Amino acid sequence: MGPVELLHMSVFSQTFSPCGRFLAAGNNYGEIAVFSLSAALSPDATGMSQKPILTFAAHEGPVFSLISTDTHLLSAGNGEISAWSWAELTKRSTKALWTRRPNYKTSLEIPEINAMIVNSKDNSLIVGGGDNNIHIMDMETGTFKSVLQGHKDYIHCLSFREREGELLSGGEDGAVRIWDARTGQTVHCIEVFKYELCGGGPALSLWHLRSMSPTSVFSLAGCQREAVFYQDLILTVGEGPYVSHCVPGGTVKAQIPSSSPSLNTLTLNLNSNEHRVMTTAGSSDQIDVFTNFSYRAFSLSF
Amino acid sequence: MSTDPLKKRKTKVIRGDGGTPETKRIRGDADQDVRVYNEEVELEGRDTEQDYILYKSTCEAVAKLMAEIQDLKASGAKEGSMEVEERRRRGSVHFIALKKLNRMAHMRLKKARDQTHEAKQRVDVLHLQLQNLLYEVLHLQKEIGKCLEFRSQHEEIELVSVDEFFQEAPAEISRPHLTKEDPHQLTLARLDWELEQRKRLAEQYKSSLCTKEKILKGIEMKKEYLNSLQPGLQAIMQASLPVQEYLSMPFERVQKQAEVARHLPPPLYVLLVQASAYGQACDTNLSVSISGDVDEAKALSRPPEDSQDDESDSDAEEEQQNTKRRRATVGVQLDDKRKEMLKRHPLSLCIELNCKDGSILHLFFYYLMNLNILTVKVKVSASADLSGAISAGELLNPESLLNCLYASDHGQETPNPANRYQFDKVGIVSFADYVAELGHPYVWVQSLGGLHFSSDSPQVEGPHSSLSASHMESTMKLLRGRLQARLALHKQFSSLEHSIVPVSNECQHLFPAKVVSRLAHWTMMSYEEFLASRCTQVILCLFYWRPLWVSARLQAAVVLNPRYPEITPLFSLSLLWKGERSGRTDDNLRAMESEVNVFRSELQGPRPGLQLLTNQMQRLCVCLDVYLETESQVCDGSEGPREFPREKMCLRTARGPNRLKPFKYNHPQGFFSHR
Repeated sequence: MGPVELLHMSVFSQTFSPCGRFLAAGNNYGEIAVFSLSAALSPDATGMSQKPILTFAAHEGPVFSLISTDTHLLSAGNGEISAWSWAELTKRSTKALWTRRPNYKTSLEIPEINAMIVNSKDNSLIVGGGDNNIHIMDMETGTFKSVLQGHKDYIHCLSFREREGELLSGGEDGAVRIWDARTGQTVHCIEVFKYELCGGGPALSLWHLRSMSPTSVFSLAGCQREAVFYQDLILTVGEGPYVSHCVPGGTVKAQIPSSSPSLNTLTLNLNSNEHRVMTTAGSSDQIDVFTNFSYRAFSLSF
Repeated sequence: MSTDPLKKRKTKVIRGDGGTPETKRIRGDADQDVRVYNEEVELEGRDTEQDYILYKSTCEAVAKLMAEIQDLKASGAKEGSMEVEERRRRGSVHFIALKKLNRMAHMRLKKARDQTHEAKQRVDVLHLQLQNLLYEVLHLQKEIGKCLEFRSQHEEIELVSVDEFFQEAPAEISRPHLTKEDPHQLTLARLDWELEQRKRLAEQYKSSLCTKEKILKGIEMKKEYLNSLQPGLQAIMQASLPVQEYLSMPFERVQKQAEVARHLPPPLYVLLVQASAYGQACDTNLSVSISGDVDEAKALSRPPEDSQDDESDSDAEEEQQNTKRRRATVGVQLDDKRKEMLKRHPLSLCIELNCKDGSILHLFFYYLMNLNILTVKVKVSASADLSGAISAGELLNPESLLNCLYASDHGQETPNPANRYQFDKVGIVSFADYVAELGHPYVWVQSLGGLHFSSDSPQVEGPHSSLSASHMESTMKLLRGRLQARLALHKQFSSLEHSIVPVSNECQHLFPAKVVSRLAHWTMMSYEEFLASRCTQVILCLFYWRPLWVSARLQAAVVLNPRYPEITPLFSLSLLWKGERSGRTDDNLRAMESEVNVFRSELQGPRPGLQLLTNQMQRLCVCLDVYLETESQVCDGSEGPREFPREKMCLRTARGPNRLKPFKYNHPQGFFSHR
């Protein structure tokens, strides 16, 4: 990794380990880096503890999505999903447990996988990507059970509604589709709670799912790429070097500056009580760590 | 009684007087008749105590008589009365007794003295004898001592040990039957043997001296013969010069060079040897020559004592003569010291590298004697005309042509840490001020000359030829590469100034056949401006060219490293189209930047990769085309006709969470895809 490559690195995905002490991040060169949060957050942290404990090449294309199950780290590259064992990774062994490809129809260009979520009820992995379809894979057997077709352009993100058993997907075509009951809306979608939060082309907006209508629109410049609900706040990142704190009422409470010119991903470490941090990453090789959500504490770097 | 001896005494001559012959005769005659009276004999018979008592009584009697006389006289007796006369007569008699007693006393005294004197004399004689004897004893002792200390010369002669002697000496000398018992004989025998051996050896020595003389004479003769050959050989050499030229084996020239090379300082010598060796072995386009003043170099290596003596004498004379001349000011003295410190050795090396296209790189190497470093000056004679490009003025500037041949080797500071202390003494702050005049002290130049400076200690080792040899090949290659890169850049720059991006035939496959964007403008700017600009200044400007109007303009700032093409030039972009976007704000522009900056291996073209810059620029044009043609799709809200018609074939126009455009060109198929 020369300095020019580092200059042009973008981090697209992050996830925390089940114990909450490690952070895995994926970049546009197909590498995954594992950072030790406990080392970085400890009082005697040095510059070295802000470097990854392990960096390995996972895929050929950019790693757009990473999720963590109880024991595994799942990463998505160019049209393939690989699983890694967290236990092995902490011991610095980089052998993938398995690598599977959904069945793609086109052969000219391999579609990327932009989003993955796990349905813990029936232990299945749901992936959505560049081929405009949603593939569902059974985690135990590894076979791809079904394909949900309907989007007209590639899928940006997926989300799952536990109570109703519904899957929501947002795509580049501007539609948010709710599967098990098909409807379309004309925005990008990020995450779902009781309300639905949609950000994207025009603006970030909060939708009420029951009535399927927007309740508030947030006036944030630039396209928002990821948003989460946290306590009574909405934290969102996108184009622009800041993390926005918004209130469901529609006001933008605060914009916390970060080190990357635009941010792609934001995650909260809810797995661990002592390392309850928020990390964001985007178009640079730095991953900002917010111990107190109001300011950036330090940055991990690839 | 006492009157009788008195009378007799008057007539007799006894002793001490010597007497007249008549008295002697009389005495002789009278001896038979006369009673001899010897007072000394009488003296021995008298007792001193009695004499003393007699003396006292006589004195009393006299005193009494005198008192009686006085009484009588006082009582009026007449002069010459009988009593007075009686008493007078008695008194006289007493006086006579007293006189005798006095004489006795004197005689006793004399006698005692005589006796003492005699005894003393005897004692003295004995004493003298004693002294004599003692002296003699002492003398004898000394003599004995001397005798005992006597070391005969024979003991200083080193003799062989007794065993060896008995083994080696022939029987008639060693005579064991005698010598084994008698140490004196043994020593004598050994001395004999020694003498004989020495005589023999002396003989040998004389004979060897003779042979040595003969041999020396022989050598002398042969030397003369050889010397007489010398002029003949010279003549042959002269005659053979044309032959050498004809056969192109320039022995003469090489020898002359070797002759001059003897006066080179060690680092330059190492450089000469290594460069010549490399030139002969690997690289026929390299030639080495020595230039400079040989006499001065010879003067430097002459021993300094003569010159010092002369100098001191001449200084003394000068001072005496020119006391009126003002002493040089401190500043001038310091200047002189500086000049002295920075003095160059009179000889220098010139290495010429000929390149395939006919251009020549001239390198002049100098040695700074007091600082013990080498410096280099460079000159380029290019085969092509170089006056075309304005922006390329800096490319072949001799001051900066060789900068950073190896990473971070700027050649502005001296690499010898010891020089720091020397500079402090004469007030030189930085060597960079003198670089223009003295040449650049690059680290690779020191390595070529075998000088190695470790950064820890100021110790400097002598020149190593192994250090030079290991660097020679790589440095020559780098130098050639540098010259070629710069010349190629020069050509490219001149073409870029005319708004043409020159893409060579080998690299056409990297780009699609039709590229709509054009290069509009190419200028130079300084590094400070680049840092300040963040891409708002124009160094190169691409237009998307439509015949009727220009609607989008991409500005890029390019940073070229002196080690181009090893280090990729960096592009920093900003786009002026419906507002300003830059690589910092727009992810797609950032992707374009990475397309040009990161994928050097694709863009560098055939070895040695001199097409890098132009390929990068062409790719930038291509990416701009793609950007603008795929742009109009995205959420503008407006649905009107596209501003830039789609002419490039793309499978998908957006991919991934940040919707990047397809900038990667796939060659034979001719479509664009994402990385």
